[in-house]
Amino acid sequence: MAQEFPLPDVGEGLTEAEIVSWKVKPGDTVSVNQVLVEIETAKSLVELPSPFAGTVTELLFDEGATVEVGAPIIRVDSAGGTIELQAPRDADTVGELADPAATAASESSGSVLVGYGSKGGHGATRRRRRPGAIAATAEGTTADGAKASARRPTTTGSPMPIIAKPPIRKLAKDLDVDLATVTGTGLGGEITRDDVVRAAEQASVFRNIETPAWPEEREERIPVKGVRKAIATAMVASAFTAPHVSVFTDVNATRTMEFVRRLKDSPQFAGIRVSPLLVMAKAVIWAVQRNPTVNSTWTDKEIVVHHYVNLGIAAATPRGLIVPNVKDAQKLSLRELAMALEQLTATAREGKSTPANMANGTITITNLGSFGMDTGTPILNPGEVGIVALGAIKQKPWVVDGEVRPAWVTTVSAAFDHRVVDGDVASRFTADLAAVLEEPALLLD
Amino acid sequence: MAETLTMAKAINEGLRTALAADDRVLLMGEDIGTLGGVFRVTEGLKAEFGENRVLDTPLAESGIVGTAIGLAMRGFRPVCEIQFDGFIFPGFDQITSQLAKLTFRHEGSMSFPVVIRVPYGGHIGAVEHHQESPEAYFAHTPGLRVVSPATAHDAYWMIQQAIASDDPVLFFEPKSRYWQKGEVDRAAQDVGMHASRVVREGTDATLVGHGAMVSVLLSAAEIAAEEGTSLEVVDLRSLSPIDYGPLLASVQKTGRLVVAQEAPGNASVGSEIAATIAERAFYSLQAPVLRVSGFDVPFPPAKLEAAYLPDADRVLEAVDRALAY
Amino acid sequence: MSYTEATLQLLSPEGTLVESDATAPYLERIAALSDDQLRDFHRQMVVIRRFDIEAGNLQRQGQLALWIPSLGQEAAQVGSGYAARAQDHVFPAYREHVVGRIRGLDPMRIIELLRGLSHGGWDPAQTGNFHLYTLVIGSQSLHATGYAMGLTLDGGTNTGDLEKDAAVLAYFGDGATSQGDVSEAFVFSASYQAPIVYVLQNNHWAISVPVERQSRTPLYLRSQGFGIPSTQIDGNDVLAAYAVTAQYLDEARSGQGPRFVEALTYRMGAHTTSDDPTKYREHEDVQFWAQRDPITRFETFLRARGEGEAFFAEVATEAEDLAADLRARIFELGDPPSSKMFDHVYRDPHPLMDEQRAWLAAYESSFEEGTD
Repeated sequence: MAQEFPLPDVGEGLTEAEIVSWKVKPGDTVSVNQVLVEIETAKSLVELPSPFAGTVTELLFDEGATVEVGAPIIRVDSAGGTIELQAPRDADTVGELADPAATAASESSGSVLVGYGSKGGHGATRRRRRPGAIAATAEGTTADGAKASARRPTTTGSPMPIIAKPPIRKLAKDLDVDLATVTGTGLGGEITRDDVVRAAEQASVFRNIETPAWPEEREERIPVKGVRKAIATAMVASAFTAPHVSVFTDVNATRTMEFVRRLKDSPQFAGIRVSPLLVMAKAVIWAVQRNPTVNSTWTDKEIVVHHYVNLGIAAATPRGLIVPNVKDAQKLSLRELAMALEQLTATAREGKSTPANMANGTITITNLGSFGMDTGTPILNPGEVGIVALGAIKQKPWVVDGEVRPAWVTTVSAAFDHRVVDGDVASRFTADLAAVLEEPALLLD
Repeated sequence: MAETLTMAKAINEGLRTALAADDRVLLMGEDIGTLGGVFRVTEGLKAEFGENRVLDTPLAESGIVGTAIGLAMRGFRPVCEIQFDGFIFPGFDQITSQLAKLTFRHEGSMSFPVVIRVPYGGHIGAVEHHQESPEAYFAHTPGLRVVSPATAHDAYWMIQQAIASDDPVLFFEPKSRYWQKGEVDRAAQDVGMHASRVVREGTDATLVGHGAMVSVLLSAAEIAAEEGTSLEVVDLRSLSPIDYGPLLASVQKTGRLVVAQEAPGNASVGSEIAATIAERAFYSLQAPVLRVSGFDVPFPPAKLEAAYLPDADRVLEAVDRALAY
Repeated sequence: MSYTEATLQLLSPEGTLVESDATAPYLERIAALSDDQLRDFHRQMVVIRRFDIEAGNLQRQGQLALWIPSLGQEAAQVGSGYAARAQDHVFPAYREHVVGRIRGLDPMRIIELLRGLSHGGWDPAQTGNFHLYTLVIGSQSLHATGYAMGLTLDGGTNTGDLEKDAAVLAYFGDGATSQGDVSEAFVFSASYQAPIVYVLQNNHWAISVPVERQSRTPLYLRSQGFGIPSTQIDGNDVLAAYAVTAQYLDEARSGQGPRFVEALTYRMGAHTTSDDPTKYREHEDVQFWAQRDPITRFETFLRARGEGEAFFAEVATEAEDLAADLRARIFELGDPPSSKMFDHVYRDPHPLMDEQRAWLAAYESSFEEGTD
């Protein structure tokens, strides 16, 4: 049977050797331990004794060739039965007394190479793993995570464990999201980045609202009176008196988000509610300064341009929509404005806004974003000529330096009384708002 | 039955108990017999058990460990003393090339129950080589067990457990604690020598350390409590293997970990703990694991020791950083 | 070369006994040996030499990572090996294959070590107290010394009964005498008067470094500085190796303290199969020692005593058989399971071993079959 002799690693980590001289040729009969070839390694000149007995059929490399460890160098056709004894050689090569007194017929030769050169561990391809392999070696190495987290007592007393990686925890903190209220959609209930972002975009008003069952009665009649009647009257007066025109623009509000975050971290604003609405409020004041006619009132005889801003904020209350305003908002510092807005919305939610709060507004902002809406077509507050809608600020694709990247994007829309405000003013005003949202530093003007 | 003993005396008592219980237990080391050891830890034992049980050896650490190996082969349970931490290195080869590997080499036919006692650590104002913390070299060596008691009670019990172990044990004795008194309960062997344990409960962050560091951590926790921060302290007790159970439970509770050690920080036992906790308690961590270690310099002259060694302030600085996340 | 006036020789290179006042007491010991015992000396030397050659061939054929030849040192090892009594403990370095065989070790254990299947793994209690090979030079001298100290401490020696009292035989080479551990061993054994005989096979080379670089004085003098009596012998003289070692072992086991034998011999082969001696030594040196071959002179001695051809033929056959047996058995050696690396790291249970063993098992079973 044909056997091959792979070049062994004769010196603990050698990778190759040179064939110096063959001591046999095809056709020769060889016995076990008979010297076949002399090779030169990095360390020394070595004679290789034959692992087989039989007839040489082929020398696989020429003298002078460099061979890698493991490559077959010679083919021998093995005979069976007893082998001829080879007479002992003179020991003139020290240490290489390959006394070739042959042994009885040996079967298979060194198919197993000990000393595999230094290539171990450097295979060219990767062994294929079974499906689900990652779980097999991951299990048991992590103590917490999905399995162990059930044991974890939380300080809030909530039974739901919070599984979130550190970057996600930071994102939640930045976006003012309470992780305890977020349901994780990742592996084992892990809260993912998307989960946090989605939660940040949703208004608190719309969480946890259950769908009620269909009522038994066919219809319900609600009397029109009080606030509802007032709102209706105002809307009709406004909508069907003032010709409304709306303009929309999308803006990359990333810097506003960053600015808001920095304000939150700032000791100056500790304890004060800060949000993009504050930036928009400031933007409106600034844009009014640059486009005064949007901050006016139409009477049949004259247009009264106000040189002060009573900034109205549309507030959804349990009793309906009201628009209290911050008087002389243009006089307030950023911090004062923040506090005023906070006060205003708190009062409104408690249902304690007074008629005086709601009178004499000069321009209004409606925060559709708090309802999760991208944009809308608001109706002017009667007596006003402009109303700004701030939409939800969401992660959307935006082109930055020629590449599509995620950015915090929002739609700014504004509606105007076309009797006072034409398209150019409308656009400039809206563009100014967008400019501030894109670069809040403009407010330093 | 509890009594108040210094740690040195507690170890002395532990050794006495072991010598009395098993004829094959032997003590060997420089100056341990007639003098009773430079720290008097072996005081009185030669007088009580004789020179064939308590051997004053020649001055040769490699010789001490190497002959202890031969004695273990003969069936003895030798307890070697290396006089000071810095002098363990002449014996390093016998410890790591031989003692650590002989059980493996024999494939189970022989055991090597050798204990090597090493006074270690700083805080005693000594000269060079007398205040080292070489635990990491041995914790890194497979085949060895490495432990370090922080209290007299633990010292009393852990030395006996080390002697009873059929494996080689490096027993690091915090020399700055030798003269600290503690309650030793001779009746209660409560946990194994490799168990870690919570020695002070808290909620805001976990501190972990071993040996002399544990009392520093307890001081830091006291100070923090006055400032309104609640710190949990874990005594590691064993450096190889490390018992992560109580530590993981603690980190899952507090979310923050500070690891403290006298040893230089680079490639230290503290580094191993930080990596393992980051891996196994990833979702529980509110802050990265912080390490407070000796600086990566040779142990400095005694006048600089206070600046070098982590004290309560250094520990609390790390706690502040952890809490800021 | 390194023979001095002190070199004790009982059998000349020509195969004749050397009679003198110095040799007389030793020749008495030799005279007390039976014919069979003398035959055994020859048998062991011849068989191990043949084994050695075959193992070297197998290494060149890729079946062993390494072979460590003991070529030329057969007499020093066989003689001293037979001098130890059954109750004695033997601490080899890593070249004393025939001593292992004499004590009861199957040489396949050594083959397994060099094929990468184990780090030794045999149980000295099952192999005539022949301990494992130690590859860190000189380290075993301390283990041997500690063992001997143990004998003194627990009464295993010096009770007056030569058949029961144990002593320790420790081997190392000329290179080892430079290692601190060997000097420390001398310190301890002298200090505690431990029953140990150190046999130094001065084969003149530590890989490529000649013994002259290790010492400026004959090595047998070294132990005397520590208070340990010593003798230098012609290490290629199996009778001297036997007689002097036996005498010293009996002195040691009788409470007379440690002893040291320097056996002058020559490493006829390479340090190991990774070595090439042609790079550092002269052919003439090798020839000088070839003329002092241990087996040749002993064969001459036996023939002169009347040993016939039949015996030598029988020994040659036995040698061939052992070589063939080695060749056959080596191919039967399988590979150890990877889990073996976690066994026996510790005696007592260890959580990290359990954890990592389980991990590796899960990892290996996570691969599709037949892709390695």
